[in-house]
Amino acid sequence: MGSRASRLLREEEIEEIKKETGFSHSQITRLYSRFTSLDKGENGTLSREDFQRIPELAINPLGDRIINAFFPEGYFVLVIFREDQVNFRGFMRTLAHFRPIEDNEKNKNPATEPLNSRTNKLLFAFRLYDLDRDDKISRDELLQVLRMMVGVNISDEQLGSIADRTIQEADTNGDSCISFNEFIKVLEKVDVEQKMSIRFLH
Amino acid sequence: MEVDATLDSGSEGKSYGTIFLDMLLHFQYQTLCKKIIYICMCVCVCVLDEARRRSKNRRAKAQRKTKQVSDDEDEEEDEDEAPRKRGRRKRTKPQDSDQDDEEDKRRVRQKGAKAPRRKAANEERDEESEEDQGKRKKGGRAPSKQEKEDQNKEKKGNVKGKDETNKGSEKDKKKKNGKQSRSSSSEDESEDESDEESMSEGEIAALKEQVEEKKKLIATLRNKPWRMKRRLVLLKEAQEFVEKFEGALGKGRGKKLYAFKVMMTKVLMGLPYGSIPRKTVPRSEQDTAMDFSVLFDFGVRILASSLCQGGSLLRVYPACCPILGYCKYSILFYGYYNNERNIGVLKFRLPLSYLLTGVGIFGYSLMVVIRTMARNANEGGDGGDEGEFTFSWKMFTSWDYLIGNPETADNKYASITTSFKESIVDEKENQKDENIHLQRFLRILANIMILCCLGGSGYLIYFVVKRSQDFAKMDPASLTWFQKNEVEFVMSLLGLVCPPLFETIAELEDYHPRIALKWQLGRIFALFLGNLYTFLFALFDEVNDKLETEQELKNATEWAIHEYNANYSSYYNTTDVPPLVVNPADAVRGPCWETAVGIEFVKLIVSDMQVTFLTILIGDFARAIIVRFLNYCWCWDLEAGFPSYAEFDISGNVLGLIFNQGMIWMGAFYAPGLVGLNVLRLLTSMYFQCWAVMACNVPHERVFKASRSNNFYMGLLLLVLFLSLLPVVYTIMTLPPSFDCGPFSGQDRMYDVVMETITQDLPAFIGTIFTYATNPGLIMPAVLLMVLAIYYLNTVSKGYQQANLDLKKKMKMARDEEKNRRNNKDSTNQVMKDLEDLLPNKSLIPPPTEEEPPHDIVIEKGSKSTKMKPGSAGKGVNLQKEVSLAATNPRGPVAHPPRARGGPPGHLRGPLPGPGRGRGRGAPPRT
Repeated sequence: MGSRASRLLREEEIEEIKKETGFSHSQITRLYSRFTSLDKGENGTLSREDFQRIPELAINPLGDRIINAFFPEGYFVLVIFREDQVNFRGFMRTLAHFRPIEDNEKNKNPATEPLNSRTNKLLFAFRLYDLDRDDKISRDELLQVLRMMVGVNISDEQLGSIADRTIQEADTNGDSCISFNEFIKVLEKVDVEQKMSIRFLH
Repeated sequence: MEVDATLDSGSEGKSYGTIFLDMLLHFQYQTLCKKIIYICMCVCVCVLDEARRRSKNRRAKAQRKTKQVSDDEDEEEDEDEAPRKRGRRKRTKPQDSDQDDEEDKRRVRQKGAKAPRRKAANEERDEESEEDQGKRKKGGRAPSKQEKEDQNKEKKGNVKGKDETNKGSEKDKKKKNGKQSRSSSSEDESEDESDEESMSEGEIAALKEQVEEKKKLIATLRNKPWRMKRRLVLLKEAQEFVEKFEGALGKGRGKKLYAFKVMMTKVLMGLPYGSIPRKTVPRSEQDTAMDFSVLFDFGVRILASSLCQGGSLLRVYPACCPILGYCKYSILFYGYYNNERNIGVLKFRLPLSYLLTGVGIFGYSLMVVIRTMARNANEGGDGGDEGEFTFSWKMFTSWDYLIGNPETADNKYASITTSFKESIVDEKENQKDENIHLQRFLRILANIMILCCLGGSGYLIYFVVKRSQDFAKMDPASLTWFQKNEVEFVMSLLGLVCPPLFETIAELEDYHPRIALKWQLGRIFALFLGNLYTFLFALFDEVNDKLETEQELKNATEWAIHEYNANYSSYYNTTDVPPLVVNPADAVRGPCWETAVGIEFVKLIVSDMQVTFLTILIGDFARAIIVRFLNYCWCWDLEAGFPSYAEFDISGNVLGLIFNQGMIWMGAFYAPGLVGLNVLRLLTSMYFQCWAVMACNVPHERVFKASRSNNFYMGLLLLVLFLSLLPVVYTIMTLPPSFDCGPFSGQDRMYDVVMETITQDLPAFIGTIFTYATNPGLIMPAVLLMVLAIYYLNTVSKGYQQANLDLKKKMKMARDEEKNRRNNKDSTNQVMKDLEDLLPNKSLIPPPTEEEPPHDIVIEKGSKSTKMKPGSAGKGVNLQKEVSLAATNPRGPVAHPPRARGGPPGHLRGPLPGPGRGRGRGAPPRT
C-alpha cells in the first residue's frame, strides 16, 4: 500500500504540500496511503460517503459538519464544479489544522500564520458551528448543535434556555450572536493547541 | 496419585528394594521429602527386579499361591545377601517363622475379603504403605544411633560392636519381613501398575543400580576387613555419590506434588521459623483443624458450614474461639510471629521491623493522602473562574472526537445530557427563594431524627457486643446460630438499612443535590464510624478480660514449673533439673488478645465482603432479572414503574471503600495477613461490581457528578486514617503485650523493642541524642513551634485566598460593567454610543490625537493648496514635511509675527527654515 501510494504521489506535489502544510515527507506519504485506503471509488478523490464510513465521524453528532470542513468552498464547489469530491491537496490542507504546534516554529515566521496556529484551529472549530458562514453563531445554530448532542432527552424549551444562557455568557457586544472574537474569548482557558492536535507519525 | 502408586510398589518390594530401604534408613535424613525420594527410587529398582523375577517364576511355576511366592522370595533374597548375612541367618530363623504365622493369618483374612474390588485393595495398600513408612521412620533413628555407637566401638577395637550391628540388622530384617508379607498379599492387584511404572522409569534404572551398589557398599562397609581409614574414605565417597544422584533421581512429578504438600503443611503449621507453641495447633484442636469448613471458618458460618455440613458444625464447635483451623496459627495473625531478636542469616530483626512496619504504614498512608489532597486542591484552584462560561464550554467542548464505538457514543450522549441537566438544576437552585423559616425548621428536624438514628444504632451495637460476651461465657452447645453471629449480623443490617433511611429523611431538608449528597455521605460515614468505635470499645473490654485471665494463667504455669522443679530435685536428689519438655501442641497457652483482636477484624472484613456480594447478587442481579423477565406478564410497567432497576450508588460505594480501608488500617497491626486478604477482596469485588454495573444497573436518577467532590472523599479518608490510627497507637503505647505470643512477648510495652535496639545495637551517642530528643523540655517547645508555624502558614494562605477572591470579584465586576454598558447603549443615549464607537480609535492612537483631526484636515487642505500651487513635482516629500511642520508647531497662526519680526535670525538659523527654503527653491522652477 505504502509503496503504491508513494509511487502515485509525484515528488513536486509532495514538495508543494510540504510547503503549504508543514507536514514532513514521510507523514505525507503515510497520509496518502490512508487517503487511498479511504478512497473506495479509487478515483483519487474522496466523496462524502467515503468520510462517513469512518466510524468516529459516523457517530459524532458533528460528523457532518466536520466532513463539510473538508470541502472548503462547500456549496460553491458543488454548484460550480458539479462535484462533491475532495482531492489529496484539500485533504491535507484540512488535516494541517490538526498538526501539533512545535516549539521551534512558534516564533519562526510571525508574518505568515501557519494553518495549525491557535487562531486557525479555533477558526476551524468555529466554522463547525457557523453553518451559514456569516462569521457568527446564532441561536438557531446553537440549538441545532444541542439537539444533535443531547437528542430527545431534554425538552425543546430547556434546550432553548440553554442556548440563551450560552449566548448570554459568551456575547459581549449584545448582538445575540457569538462572533469569532467572542468565541476565542470563551475558549481562552482551554488548551486548544493541545486538544486540537493529532499526533501524526513522523 | 503417582506418589501413592510408587509407595505401593515400594511396599511390595521383593528383595533388593526392602533391603536398601533399610540400609538407607541408616542415614538420618532431615526431611520427609528426601525420604520419599529415596523410597521412590528404591521402588523403581524393586519393580525392575520384580519384573525379572516374575518372568522367571512364570517360567518355573505358572501360578503360585501367594504364600509360596513370598517364601520363595524370602529365600532368594537371603541368597542374594548370602555372603554378608549368612552368619546371622540362624538367629533370625525363628523370628521369621513367627512372622510367617502372622502372615498366614493375614492372608486368610484377606482372602476372605478378597472378592477383588480393585479400589478397596488400593486403599488398603495405601494404608499399609503409610504404616510401613512410619515404621521405617521409627526404625531409621534407632539403627543410626547404633551405627554411631558401633563406630566408636570399632575404633576401640572392641568385638562387641559386631554383635550390636547384628542386632541392628536383625531388627531391620524383622521389619523387612513384615513388610514383605503384607505387601505380597496385594501383589496380584498391583502387578499391572508396577509393570507400567517399570516401563516408564526404565531409563534411569541404570543410574539407580549404581546408587544402589554404593548404598550396599555403605551398609556392608562395617563388615569389610579393611583399615579404618580406607573405610572412612570409601564411606565418604559413597555417601557423596548417593546424595548427588538421589537428588537427580528425585525429580518426578509426584514427588514435587508431595514436596509441595509437605511444604504447605509446614507453612500453615508455621514450622519454618522454629516451633514456639503459637505456631502449632493445640492438641485439642488438631483433629478438626484441617477440616475444610473449619479451616476457613471465620465465625461467619452462613455459607461454608451450612453448605458443607448442613449446619451441624455450628452446634459442635465452641463459639468463643471461632477460628479453630490452621488459619488461627498461620502467618495471617499476630500470634504467629515470635520474639526472637534475630532471624536467619541476615539477622532480620523481626520484632523491631514488625513494630516499625506497623507504624510506618500509617505514616506512609498519611503522606499519600495529604499529597493527593494538596494536588487536588491545586487543580481546583486553577479552574477558579470556571463559572463564567459553563454553558459555552459544555456546548463547545463536551464531545470527545476520538469516540469510535457506538456504545461509548451512547454513554457520551447520556453524560452530556446529564451535565446539561445538572447545570439547569444549578441555575434553578440559584433562582429559588422560599419560606426560609419552614426550611430551617425542616432541616433541624431532619438532623434531630438522624442523630437519633445514629445514637440508636450505636447503642444497639454496644448492647449486642456486650451480650455476645455473655454468650461467649456460656456453654457453646446451647447457643443458636443467631446468638453466635449476632454482632456481625446486626452491624451488616444497620449498614444496609440506615443509608436509605437517611436519604428519606434528607428529602425534608431540600438541599441542592450536591450539598445533599455531602450531607448524606457525612451521615453514613458517622454511622459507620460510630459503629466501628462502639465495636472497638466493646473489644477493649474483652481485651482487658483477656489480660486478666492471662495473668492468672501465667501465675499458674509459673507455680506449676516451680512445683515440678521442686519435685524433681527432691525425688532424684539433684539440683540439676532438666528442663521440662513439652510438645508444643500440648503447651499451656494464654488467650493472646492480639490475635483475638485480629480475628475480630478478619471476621468483620469477611462478613462485610459477604454482605457486599450478597447485596449485589440479590439487590441488583435478582432484581434486574425479575424486572426484566416478569415485565412481559405484569400489570404495570416494572422497568419504568415501582421496582425498576437498581441504581449504581457511586458515592455509597466510594464510602464503603474508605470505610473498608479504615478497618484494614486498624486491623493490619494485629493481623498482617489482612492486607493480602483485602487485596484479594478488592480485586474480586472490582470485577464483580464492574460486571454488576454493566449488566444490571442504571445510572443514578438524581443529577450530580460525584467525581467532582474528590477532595471531599480524600478528606473523609484522612479522617478515617486518623481515627483508625488512634486505637492502634493507644494499644501500642499502653496495653501490655501477651506474655507468650507475638513478637513482643516478654516485654512490658510494645515500644520497648525500639528502646532495646537503641541501647544495645546503636552507638552510644545516638542513644544520648535520643534521650535528649525525647525529653519533654525539648518536645514541648518543638510542638509549640510547630503550632506557631501552622498558625502563620494558615494566616498567609487565608490572606492569599482573600486576595484571590477580591481579584476574581474585580474581574467579574469589570466584565459586568462592560456588558451593562453594551446592553444599555442602544436604548439610552445616542451620543454615548457615538462616543463609545470612537473609543477603540482613541485607544489606538497616542494621546495628542484629540486635537489632531482638525489639524489633519487643515494640513490636508494646506497641502492640497500647496500642491495646487507648486504643481506636481516633489509631491510626497513636501507633503510629509508640511505635516511634520504642522505637528511640531501647533501654534501655526501665532508663529507668523515672530517670523516676520525675526527675519535675520531666521537666516542665521540655516537648517531650520530649510523646508521653507526648499519649498521656495522648489517653487521657482515650477512657477
